Order: sequence, then C-alpha cells, then structure tokens
Amino acid sequence: MTSVAATRPKRGRARTPKPIHVQFRTIVSPHQLNSRWGRRIYWLVLAAVVVTFSLAFVFPLYWMVTGAMKTPEEVAQVPPTLVPAQPTLAPFFEAWELFDIGTLLANTVYYALGAWVFCMCVDVAAAYALSKLRPAFGNVILGAMLATLMIPPMVILIPLYVTIVDLGLLNNPWGLWFPAAANGFNIFLLKRFFDSIPRELIEAAQIDGAGPLRVLWSVVLPVSRPILGVVSIFTIVTAFKDFVLPLLVMTDSEKMTISVGLSQTAGAVTQNQVMGGLVIAAVPMIIVFFVFQRHIMAGLTAGSIKG
Amino acid sequence: MGVLRRNLTAYGFLCAALFCFTVFAWYPMVREFVLSFQRTDLINPPEWVGLANFQGAVQDPAFWEAWLNTVEFTFLALVCGYAVPFVVALVLNELRHARAYLRFVVYLPVMLPPIVAVLLFRWFYDPGPGLFNQLLDLAGLPPLAWLDSSSTALISLVLVATWMNMGSATLIYLAALQNIPPELYEAAELDGAGIFRRIRHVTIPQTRLILLLMLMLQIVATMQVFIEPYMLTGGGPENATVTVAYLMYQFAFSQMNYGQAGALGMMLMLVLLVFAALQLRWTREDPA
Amino acid sequence: MRRSTGLLLVTVLGLGATACGSGEPATPAAGGAEAVTITVACQPARTAPKERQAWDDDVAAFMKANPGVTVKSTDQQPCFDPKTFGPKLAGGQMETVFVVPVTNYNDVISQGQALDITSHTNLIKNWNDLRPDARELVTRDGKVYGVPNVLYSVGLVYNRALFTQAGLDPDNPPKTWAEVREAAKKIAALGPGYVGFGEYSGGNTGGWHFTQAIYGRGGDVLTPDNTKAAFNSPEGKAVLQTLHDMRWIDNSMGNKLLIGWESLMVAMGGGKVGMMLGAPDVVTDVVTKFRGKVSDYGITGFPEAKASLSGGEAYMINPKATPEQAKAGMAWIDFRFNTVGKGRFDFARGKAIGNPVGVPDNAVYGDSPTGQAIQADRVKHATLPVENYQSYVEAAATIPPKAEPVHAQEIYAVLDVPMSAVLSRKDADIGQLLAEAETKVNNLLAAKG
Repeated sequence: MTSVAATRPKRGRARTPKPIHVQFRTIVSPHQLNSRWGRRIYWLVLAAVVVTFSLAFVFPLYWMVTGAMKTPEEVAQVPPTLVPAQPTLAPFFEAWELFDIGTLLANTVYYALGAWVFCMCVDVAAAYALSKLRPAFGNVILGAMLATLMIPPMVILIPLYVTIVDLGLLNNPWGLWFPAAANGFNIFLLKRFFDSIPRELIEAAQIDGAGPLRVLWSVVLPVSRPILGVVSIFTIVTAFKDFVLPLLVMTDSEKMTISVGLSQTAGAVTQNQVMGGLVIAAVPMIIVFFVFQRHIMAGLTAGSIKG
Repeated sequence: MGVLRRNLTAYGFLCAALFCFTVFAWYPMVREFVLSFQRTDLINPPEWVGLANFQGAVQDPAFWEAWLNTVEFTFLALVCGYAVPFVVALVLNELRHARAYLRFVVYLPVMLPPIVAVLLFRWFYDPGPGLFNQLLDLAGLPPLAWLDSSSTALISLVLVATWMNMGSATLIYLAALQNIPPELYEAAELDGAGIFRRIRHVTIPQTRLILLLMLMLQIVATMQVFIEPYMLTGGGPENATVTVAYLMYQFAFSQMNYGQAGALGMMLMLVLLVFAALQLRWTREDPA
Repeated sequence: MRRSTGLLLVTVLGLGATACGSGEPATPAAGGAEAVTITVACQPARTAPKERQAWDDDVAAFMKANPGVTVKSTDQQPCFDPKTFGPKLAGGQMETVFVVPVTNYNDVISQGQALDITSHTNLIKNWNDLRPDARELVTRDGKVYGVPNVLYSVGLVYNRALFTQAGLDPDNPPKTWAEVREAAKKIAALGPGYVGFGEYSGGNTGGWHFTQAIYGRGGDVLTPDNTKAAFNSPEGKAVLQTLHDMRWIDNSMGNKLLIGWESLMVAMGGGKVGMMLGAPDVVTDVVTKFRGKVSDYGITGFPEAKASLSGGEAYMINPKATPEQAKAGMAWIDFRFNTVGKGRFDFARGKAIGNPVGVPDNAVYGDSPTGQAIQADRVKHATLPVENYQSYVEAAATIPPKAEPVHAQEIYAVLDVPMSAVLSRKDADIGQLLAEAETKVNNLLAAKG
C-alpha cells in the first residue's frame, strides 16, 4: 500500500530548460517526457487537466455558494450573473430558519457521532475476538459477516425497515446505530490489521498477567491507531451522508437528518434559500475532508488494493 | 487459558456484533425471503399468499420498463463511471505537478452528502435559468430539456451519479497504477513498445484484478440507483427513469404493498448474485 | 469480557428505555379529572409561522379549557404521508388524532387502522349539520370512523393580477377551454418566465389532474363496474390534445415539467402562472404556504364542467387510543375544526394574520344552519371581495361531484405517462399513449381482481 504523501514528487528547482523531475517511472519514460515535444505536450496536458478539473468539480460548488448569495430575482435571471451583483448573506439565515437547520444539523451530528462510538465498540471488540482470541466457528462467523457485503443495502432495505418497525425503533437513533454497526467491511479492515500485530507483543503482555481486555486496551489499540483513524472517519462520513435509511426511520420533523430535512422542504422555498441550505449541509463534510484528507485517501486504498 | 474459557471470552467480545448482525443484517435477508410470500400491512398479522407478490410485481405496468431503465442506467454509468475514471487516473499518474490539488478536487464531490449534489444539479438542469442551458446558449447551442424529456432524463441522472461518485474510483485506480513495478515499463520500452502498447501490455494486465473488482462493485452500486430518480424525476417523464430500486420503494411506500416490494427485492438480489458469481469465476480463471 | 458484557447491558438498556419511552405518565390532574395526553397531527410547518402561531394558541386555549388534557402537536409535512402511515401505526408512533384524505378512507377503515367512534360523535356538537354525503364516506356498516373535515370540488384557480396585466378581465374568467387557451396565450406573452396554464406531469399528480380534467369534460377513468379503463375516449383525447396544443402550438405552458404537488404551488405562489385546475384550498395554500399575494388569486367554475372530482379529508382516531384519549381527541377536533368562530373558523384572527378569508374552501357543512353561520362569519371578516368566488360557488352547487377511481394511486402512476408525454414531446401520439395506458390499467385491474 502506497502512502499518498510518499509518492508526491518533489519539484525540481533546476536551471532552464527546467527538466520535469521524475521520481518514479510511469508509462511515459523520463526521457520521452523531457524531450522538446514531450515537455510541450506535458505542460499542455497539465494545463488542460487542471482547468477541466476546476471547471468540473470546483465551479459547481462556486455556483452553489454564489447562488446562495444572490437575491431570488437574480438567481432566476437569464443570463445568470457570474458574480452576485449585491452579495448578501441573508439567504443563509433564511435557509437556517426555514429548514430549521440548527435542529437538523444537531440531529445529524448526534447520529453520526453515536454511530461512530457504537460502531467502534462493537466492531473493534468483534475483530479483536476473531483475530486474537480465535473462537470456535470464528471463520464461519467472519465469512457470514463478509457475506453481507455481497448483498447490496437497497435490496434488504424493505425487510430491514420492517424489522426496525417491529422492534419499535422508528424515530429512535438506535434504528440507525444498530444497522450501522453491522458493518462487515469495518470488521474485515480491523481484523486484517489486528492479524498483523506480532504475537510476541501480546504474549509479553499476557506474561505480565494482562487479561484479554487489558491486552486489547493497552497493546492492540495503541498500535492500531492508523486503522482506527481510517475506520472512524469512514463510519462518521457514511453516517453523515446516509439518506435512504434515515428517510424511512427518522420521519419526525424534530428528529430528521439534514439530508432528509433538505429533501422534504426544498420544494417549498426559493432557489437561493435551497442553495444556502446546501452550502450549510456541505460545509461540515468539506471541513472533515480538509482535516482528515490523508486518512481518507489512505483508507480508500486500504481495503481494495490487497482485497 | 482453557479452551472453554478462551471461547467464552471470545464470544463475550463478539456478542454485541453478533446481535447487530443477526438482527440487522442476517435476519433481514431471511425476512426478505419470507416477506416476498406474504401480504402484510405491518399492523394485522401477515397472510401467506404464495407467489402472488411475484405475480403482482411482474404485472405492474412499470415492471419491464424499470428493468430496462436499470440496465441502461448501469450500462451508461459504467461507460462514464468505470472507463472515465480509469483514463483520468492514467493521465493523473503521468502528471508531476498539482497532484495534490487534482486528487483533492476529484474527491470533493464524494464527500458531499448525495442530497447536496442532487439538488445542486436539479438547479443546473432547470430549462430556464439553469446553468447547463445557459452554458449551451453561451456556446451558441440550442437548449436541452435535460430531466424534462424521456430521451435525455436518464443520461442526466447518469451525469449526476458520475459527478458525485467518480472520485473514489479514480483514486483507487491511481493507487493501483502507482503499484506497478517500473521495471516492467522499462522492459517494454526496450522491446520497442509505444505508449499505447505499454498501456495494453503492462498497465492493463497489472491492474486487471482491481479493474475486475471495481467492475463488480460498480455494477452492484449502480443497479441500486434510487436517490437520483427519487429526487429529480419521480420516475418520469413517461417512466423513462423508473428504476428497480425506485419501483421497489413505490411498491412499499406509495402502494403500501411490502410483500410485493420484497418480491421485487428478491429478484434484484438474484440478478446481483448472478453477477457476483460470474465475477468470481472470471477472477478465479485469471492466471495472474 | 467485562467490557463486552457492559456493552450488551448498554444495548439492552437502550432498548428498554425505548420501550418505556412510549408509555404515558398517568398522574391524575389537580381537578380530579384523569390526566391524559394526546398527540395531534397537522400543526402548520415552520415555513408558515403565522399559521403555526395560531395553531399553538389554539392548543393553549384548548388545554386551559380542558384541565388534565395535554396536547402535543406534530408538524410532519404533508400531514398525511402514505409512506409513513402504516409504519407509524405499527411502530406505536401514530398520533392520537390524524388526518386521512378521501382517497385513503377505504384502505384505512377496511384495515382496521381507525377507531370506531360511533359512540363519541355526540362530542362533535354540530355533527348532524355535517353534510350527509360526507358523513356517509366515513361510515361502514353503520359504524362511524371519522369526522369529515374538508369537502370541495375542483374549479379553475387563476391569478387576477396577471389577468389584468395581460389585458383580460379578471371578473370574467374563461368559461370554455377555447377561452382558457386564449387567456393562457395572452399571459404567456407577458414575457419570458410567464406561464399561461400550469399543469402537473409526474409523481402521480399528473394522473390526478388528468382525472380532474376528464371528469370535467364528462368522461370517466374507469367503467362503472370498475373492471376496465374508460379514459381512452374522445374526452380523454381532448384533455391531452388541449394540453399538447397549449404546450407546443401556443407555447403557453412553460418549458419545465412539474413533478409533485409542491412544484405547481410554488410556481403559482411565485405569481407568474396564470391558471391551473384546483380546488379553493389551492388559493389558501398558495397564500399561506407559498407566499402568494392574497388579493391576486381567484377561482371560478370548471370550464364546460359536466362533473367535478371531489376531494376532502377527515380526522380519525388512533385505534390504539384509550377511551379517555379518544374523548380528548374528539374534543380537540370539535374545538379546533368544528366550532363556529373558533379554531380554523376564527375568521377574525385569519384576517388579522393575513389569510385569504372569504375563499369558499370548505363545503363540509353545506347549507345547514352551521354552514350558514360559518359562511356569514366568513363574509363578515372577508379580506377579499367574496364575489370573486361567486362563480365557483354557483358552479359547485350545480355540478355533480364525482369520487376518485379505485386504486387511484396505481392508476395515477400509469396516467402520469401520457401527461408527461404530451408536455415533453411535440410528436407525442395521443391515440397510442392512451391505448397503452388503457392496456396497462386493464392488466392492473385484472391483477387486482
């Protein structure tokens, strides 16, 4: 598994003509790349890619933010203005009020953090048991847990929902937290990491008289920080983004998540207010991305490369 | 530590997870099966109805359209969501500058809650002041109806889905590309292979496993498409965007026919399992 | 080991707390009356703050007048949501008092999802003044399951301000479809963004409005014995042909498909849509929920009407309610919805908070003494010239009301297809669209038995 930071090429500060520094070999050879035409094409492609990516992925967000700073009339204006004529923050406040975003956001954060705490407790304990305590039928259990990954969530949505109704968990956060903890992928990632912890480390602790819980707490968890970080981030982000299950389970307007709340009210307010609501809903995740970018990108490849 | 004691301890640690999995993952799979043979309104005791739910699902006016649309959506989403990220990853891997920025922005939409992307695009697709028609106008092209025409609605949904999901596929491919041993390229170059032959004979075989894995993941993911038709088109116009998952939702929550929704869910599960089995066979036969 | 046991304990406790949470405290009130808590649906949303305040005031007044009764409101929108109805009832989340639209009476009553309130109807003081046909709809085998709350028939809602702007006479709205087309053209000609006639095309609302239109033209959706589709008829073709021509020849319907109830209401409230099919409650909703300007909206009889789709709703009581809760719930329904000069009929307050008072949006009391008292009160506090609605009232009195077809939601889903087709494709083949829809509905009816 390649760490993202390690592969970042260092920029060569050389004399003209500045050669393009190549740290690792790819399809195009360094020789080709640094030929006269190679360099020209390279810079052309680079410029094209940077411009295209900015237009495709950043401009829509710019449009969203500026859309929320226009008046309803300006938003509906044809042709549209690139920059708001009289930028105003009013739509954000209106959206906050109309969508009741304070409640929605607090709910969503509460559900996401709750899911995280519960998931970590349940999944770490299970992965530890499967990896280090190796009970009878452990492999069968692991297999059955991984098998749930083959069943797409949408397919079992209806029976899962019916089950939640039967248990009386509608409008109850546990209706989201229990299903969130039944996450085979988390257990798979954690178990694989725990497997790689050397036996000696654990045996040394056991000789000191540590029970299984002590071993987990003071040996396994401290060395597992990277994977715990990855699993944590993904659990929180998934819970925050989830739409369909909260749509069905959290129907009370006092208990809705922000995604569901936005979807229900977006039809009844003006376009600039909708955009204001979207910006507010997007900000927490963008902040998380800024802060935990490396964890997230490492986590993306953690499961798939060797899997 | 005795065997019994070790097992007891282990199951002690496992019990919470076993509870969650049993009630919220394994049981629903069984329940799906049971549900598809029952009529239930969740209030009165369920009633066994044999194959009536399957019959009802197949006879629904939108049943075949839903499957056709789902297949079409999956196909289009694969073209956009499977091939495009690979090409993008190939190009990104060649670049020596702005890598962090490019990786950041391509993954940015993945971080957004799907509802944000969907509602944002709903505005872009607006036939009047919507961004897309304004851009077409700027380019001197005639406006498109986007979501409001049966010929463009589905592809419009694919566009949103691709925009908000392609980041993760791109980064996964990129990581796979970076794991290819450089010697292979050097050897290919010595053999006189050009850029395209290097891609064909080195890059693709070396990333074959991940390509196959992603193919399966993407088929499974796109066949469940729901939020896009739910929020953007309501299945229309002319049923052009009714998908299987959307129809399932309609059965359950518009017609209050949970059994029929369960039957349709069973059918979708079977189709997806066939895909998974095929995939497993291809990967097994893979000499690499 | 200890850790996971603790975890399980937490889990079990969590479940326990959930189970206990739904229980009601049963402390007797000071006055000696049994303390009872009821939840009531349909509190207006936050997006309609004045309406919400009026509701909250009513709740407070009701609780003061009925010591021992605690009322909690829920504000789920829409207030009846088929998606959550069954599950809420099954999961013990259903309000004590909830509303059901006329479309769903059959399902709810036949599945035992509403309480038999025959013995409590005396708590509605004006019960006998409610229109007999409305009461009949909530009665099965002599047992009463609901209190009819709203009854109306469909007309043509129009924007009087746009009529004036377009040089049309707002006091003389269109009476024929030819006049509707002419008026729509003139309104659309006001400029980009103006829509002469707004119509739905998806999310089952397209089929719903097709039904309104075909009923108005004297056609039918199903044969009288409910076994075959009947909309592939000259009337059905005329409905689609008119819409097609308005959209593609006159270009007076805008270029955006409208999906779901709110979409057209927002457009109407935005003040750039000239006309739409709708009941008088559309006027109220456009003003209170979608910020339309009160004086701009008028309603007239359905053009060339031969029959009119009737709509409405009733309040029902949770079948799991205790007798005390049921009584308190009925008292609430009586107080808020069935008292002249109080609750929703407090027109003085409605006028004060800027509601469109004077709209004849509810015929549930018909011509009875109560109905007349309400109407007198409404006229007294009217914020609008009531003569604006006179043509609707007169038409409604003469046009026979007609109920929705059976399996309405499934049939509306099928009829969305031809509606969206004529509004999205210039080359739509109306004959073929109706023939296909006919086959689908026939199959559907055959499958349903």
